[in-house]
Amino acid sequence: MSSAVLELRDVSKSYAGSPPIEVLKEIDLKISEGELVAIVGPSGSGKSTLLNMMGALDRPTSGEVLIDGTVVNGLRDPSLSGVRGRRLGFVFQQFHLLPGLSATENVATGLLYHGTRGRARKAAAREALERVGLGHRLDQKPGKLSGGERQRVAIARALLGDPAIVLADEPTGNLDSQTTAEIVELFLELNEQGSTIVMITHDQDLTRSMPRVVEILDGEILDGAAAEPDTDEDDAL
Amino acid sequence: MKKLRSRLRIVDVVSQAVRGLTSRKLRTALTALGISIGIASLIAIQGITEANQADAKAEIDALGSDFLFITPGTGIGEEAELLPYAPAMLDTHIDDLEHVAAIYTVDARARRNELVPEVQTGGVTVSAVTAADLDLLEPVNGSVAFGRFHDTTSVEVPSVVLGSLAAERLGIRHLVGHPTINISGTNFAVIGVLNEFEILNTDLNRTAIIGLGVADTLFETPDNPSAIYAQVPPEQLDDVRDIIPAQANPAAPGEVAVSRPTEALEIREVIDETFARILQALALIVLAVGGIGIANIMVISVIERRGEIGLRRSLGATRKHIASQFIIESTVLSLLGGLLGVAIGVSIVFGYARYKDFEAIIPWFWLSVGLAAAFALGALAGLYPAWRASRLDPAEAVRPAA
Repeated sequence: MSSAVLELRDVSKSYAGSPPIEVLKEIDLKISEGELVAIVGPSGSGKSTLLNMMGALDRPTSGEVLIDGTVVNGLRDPSLSGVRGRRLGFVFQQFHLLPGLSATENVATGLLYHGTRGRARKAAAREALERVGLGHRLDQKPGKLSGGERQRVAIARALLGDPAIVLADEPTGNLDSQTTAEIVELFLELNEQGSTIVMITHDQDLTRSMPRVVEILDGEILDGAAAEPDTDEDDAL
Repeated sequence: MKKLRSRLRIVDVVSQAVRGLTSRKLRTALTALGISIGIASLIAIQGITEANQADAKAEIDALGSDFLFITPGTGIGEEAELLPYAPAMLDTHIDDLEHVAAIYTVDARARRNELVPEVQTGGVTVSAVTAADLDLLEPVNGSVAFGRFHDTTSVEVPSVVLGSLAAERLGIRHLVGHPTINISGTNFAVIGVLNEFEILNTDLNRTAIIGLGVADTLFETPDNPSAIYAQVPPEQLDDVRDIIPAQANPAAPGEVAVSRPTEALEIREVIDETFARILQALALIVLAVGGIGIANIMVISVIERRGEIGLRRSLGATRKHIASQFIIESTVLSLLGGLLGVAIGVSIVFGYARYKDFEAIIPWFWLSVGLAAAFALGALAGLYPAWRASRLDPAEAVRPAA
């Protein structure tokens, strides 16, 4: 197995309250370079919190998060932001495209906080859009794009700057089944080209084509998580 | 391990702010309007006031601030009359007075000729001067448009000098063919027409001036002057002013009115100035309200753009980057309003100058004050929203509000 690009060691997260709510319980998880991992779990299982930990969007209550070999939970805001910007790529359920910008400009924001010049940003953005199959929609504003196309733009943005890992948080949550299949297909392709991708979803169906599936329930990773998903349950649906 | 640092180029900070504003054009325009109105008012008020004051100054300079106008006052009867020999008394006893000239009201009617009904005078009055009053034009800064003013000979014969309005009413446009006018039955040769006086309270424009000797023989003429004009060096003005009434009407000095026509203009200047300051205080209030409007919109903007802030944080933006984005956006918004305000204000100043035929005066001081205020207000208005935006938890901001 190649080196771990992302590692959680004994990560717990609880939120203040009486009693405190423990959302993640001593999670150990290792993602290696070149992997495509689906993290699946029902609503409230703690998978979003898990993504916050992996994405350095929030700090664990205890345990360590290593991104590309660096322990990030002690970092102050500027360094933490730097890790997010340089080592991670994010894809969200809501796409989070800026409505006033064209597809190319939206993707180019992926390098905005790298201090890259505008021209270089746009060149990289066009290339990334080609990669996700949107070479013909470069100048469209998000309002003119379909849901699937919007998510492709967001994926292209996440790929910019060559992140160590792409984290996708319910990337198909707002898409129909046909489009969902296409986006999953895109993730598989990108993974084949070498991208390390973690996809969070509540949709068991999606995990069928995934090489590795991690199941999470009540803040804990289920045993045998790395195994192939159990398809019996899905058939019953 | 290499240092992973987020970097945002200055040019991008500004262009992001501009993008943020241009993608919400209507809101941007409406928000900037408050600042625009405030600054446009500041500039317009000052520009208009300065133009008016410059005009008043020019008028005062044209009139001469050393010109006194002495009238019997408003009392009724003998008491209020100026002494018949008042001009001579003033001339002899007050050394500082120069060019003392009196004018007498004549009860007669001026017409173009005897065919015009006597009642149809067109508002033209008849006045008389003596040989001692031939420098009448000096204190009042008058001049002859064509022909000449009275001399020692003309005051003894039926000849007349017309004020500008009187000449217009009587249809005298030149002296070719030696025109005459008819004054209560007697024809008078027109020997000159005066230029228009710019003095505020003079009737000289619409009077026909004849010799007092001639007037005495032909018409009913009072012995008392109806007005005396005199010039006095500005530094002696207050002293001289106090002793004039006793000389002009010893019996009732309190009745004598001594006025300086330029005084009204000077008062107007002071009033303009005061009024301008009050209006500018209001404009500053409008500006402050505009600033509050910007702060308000920026706070709303932070709430609305929660997702965008979360996204930017995920793309590597630090808290400082987020804060700077909102501060710059608010500052640019305010400056846009400021520039629009300057454009409107300056246009008003030019428009007013054109309308009044004044020279346009751009109030550079207030223009800079306005722009500086817009800059400061924008930055200030952005502080709190920027702080709020930068404190947003990235993990929460990237997801829809619960």
